[in-house]
Amino acid sequence: MEVDYLESIVTAIDEGEAEQVAELTQKALDEGIPAKELMERGLVRGMEKVGEKFKEGVAYLPEILIAARAANRGLEVLKPAIAKSGLKPKGKVVIGTIEGDLHDIGKNMVKFVLQGNGFEVIDLGVDVSAAQFHQAVVEEKPDMVAISALLTTTMVNIPSVLETLGKTGLRGGVKIMVGGASLTEEYAQEVGVDAYGEDCFQAVEIALRFMGVTS
Amino acid sequence: MTGRERFLKIARFELPNTFFLSTYNHAMWHKTLERWVEEGAPKEILSSTKARLGYFGFERIGMVHVEASFLTLGKTGGPPFIPPVRPRFELKVLEEDERTRVIIDEGGRKLRQYKDDPQRMPAWLDAPVKNRGDWDEYKKRLDPHHPERWLDPDWGAYAENLSQRDYPLGVDVGSFYGLLREWTGAERLMYLFYDDPELVHDMIAHMEYFSTEIIQRVLKDIQVDFAVFWEDIAWKGGPLISPKMFREFMMPHYKKVTELLHRKGVDIIFVDSDGDISELIPLWVESGVNGMYPLEVAAGMDAVKLRKQYGKQCILWGNIDKRALAKGKEAIKEELDRKIPFLLSQGGYFPGIDHFIPEDVSLENFQSYLDYLREHFAS
Repeated sequence: MEVDYLESIVTAIDEGEAEQVAELTQKALDEGIPAKELMERGLVRGMEKVGEKFKEGVAYLPEILIAARAANRGLEVLKPAIAKSGLKPKGKVVIGTIEGDLHDIGKNMVKFVLQGNGFEVIDLGVDVSAAQFHQAVVEEKPDMVAISALLTTTMVNIPSVLETLGKTGLRGGVKIMVGGASLTEEYAQEVGVDAYGEDCFQAVEIALRFMGVTS
Repeated sequence: MTGRERFLKIARFELPNTFFLSTYNHAMWHKTLERWVEEGAPKEILSSTKARLGYFGFERIGMVHVEASFLTLGKTGGPPFIPPVRPRFELKVLEEDERTRVIIDEGGRKLRQYKDDPQRMPAWLDAPVKNRGDWDEYKKRLDPHHPERWLDPDWGAYAENLSQRDYPLGVDVGSFYGLLREWTGAERLMYLFYDDPELVHDMIAHMEYFSTEIIQRVLKDIQVDFAVFWEDIAWKGGPLISPKMFREFMMPHYKKVTELLHRKGVDIIFVDSDGDISELIPLWVESGVNGMYPLEVAAGMDAVKLRKQYGKQCILWGNIDKRALAKGKEAIKEELDRKIPFLLSQGGYFPGIDHFIPEDVSLENFQSYLDYLREHFAS
């Protein structure tokens, strides 16, 4: 019975059936399946499956969005049980689009998929200055900062985030990953961030790696 | 040979080793033009296409005066952009802070704009079409025959005048994805494909009606040289929707429009989409679209590879990396040397930058791009 619930949740996430995921998650909790197991073998596994399909070129952005929406719906149901069980998020991420840039679709995709994979995400929105990233690092004490930039003219603001964190001695305590249309692996290395994510699933892989978790 | 004749021969692969260099696909962000004025360009380039044409020595290219696609309200061909609604929504400022203002724009969208540069891309806050009821209201503003859509008050004289032209003339023929996104919002449209596919089908069907009505009215009086769909349906990782969805939702409507254009003698049909469009090109070709731009290099598009892959099935326009223009003369030379000789030798190619030219490109660099192109590759 337990396996059926988990497999059904994975399938429902893959098919983007948000209400079905919520219902299955609640029923599974009622049946006594532990929150940790539902999280790992249900919700996270569901997002992994969509990620695999994305890598294979079978799933596209709409499929990822509806799957992430479904996983997040399950997460809402699961949250009280997670809190009760003492299960911690896999990591805490502060995310935002860099100063001067008002684009947010890519950033939102990364946020949804990270959340669906068990990360706590603090979304600072768009047009986020180095000072705002710095303040969020001070206040939220995240494990990592994820910065998005769509434009060649705004990606040049990324180094100022590193500088600001460096000046106050916070740079060493937080990993930084970047992504967005104008960014490349070479640019990421050049400016000295810790990783470049090509897409939302690579962002999850990087985040897991940062946390010492293998997917 | 007139510019129009040369444009047509190049597009039809009848004139290799020749180029046609126009304002089309040489668009600049407003901030870029401001920088160039500071660097010595005449201030008129800030507000006049004609001035840019004259200053940079571009050749003239025209578009029929009808609002049928994503419209620029910016003086430099950039933002603000709005969907082609008539009547337009009343522009309202809802709130403002030191740097930005929140507005309802003329297209009915709630946006956050930068005060210091309203011609920069804004942030989306809300979209006017969330459900079928919204769409039924919104589409009343998408009547192809609304008089304000037809911008020339004396259409007969306008059409007559165009028959004497010596430059190429295009017509916008709408969009089956890009415009929908403009009134639903990008994320909501992705959800709608699953949550309410019938609504998406209805919106696309209306756009087919909208486009075909406009085409029939235009082509009754004017012989145009090319047509343009606007989509922006890809990001750097590939299409924003799956090829399967494209085939199901969009292809039948593309075919209706391209078949009409072909029947009326228009055989040059472009689609404008940023991002990595590799997976969609064969579907567009199957749909009757035979030209693509701007072929964004940062998204992995390579016109040389596409020419080898598709031969004469596709007219290619653009693909000069905007980032090379920012780097300097050597990078510009390298970019042009790698692509231009081969592409021009094959015909069916128009040089152009792969997106709006950003403000990190100096006037000197842009001028050296034009000079190198003209000095080394003009026939």
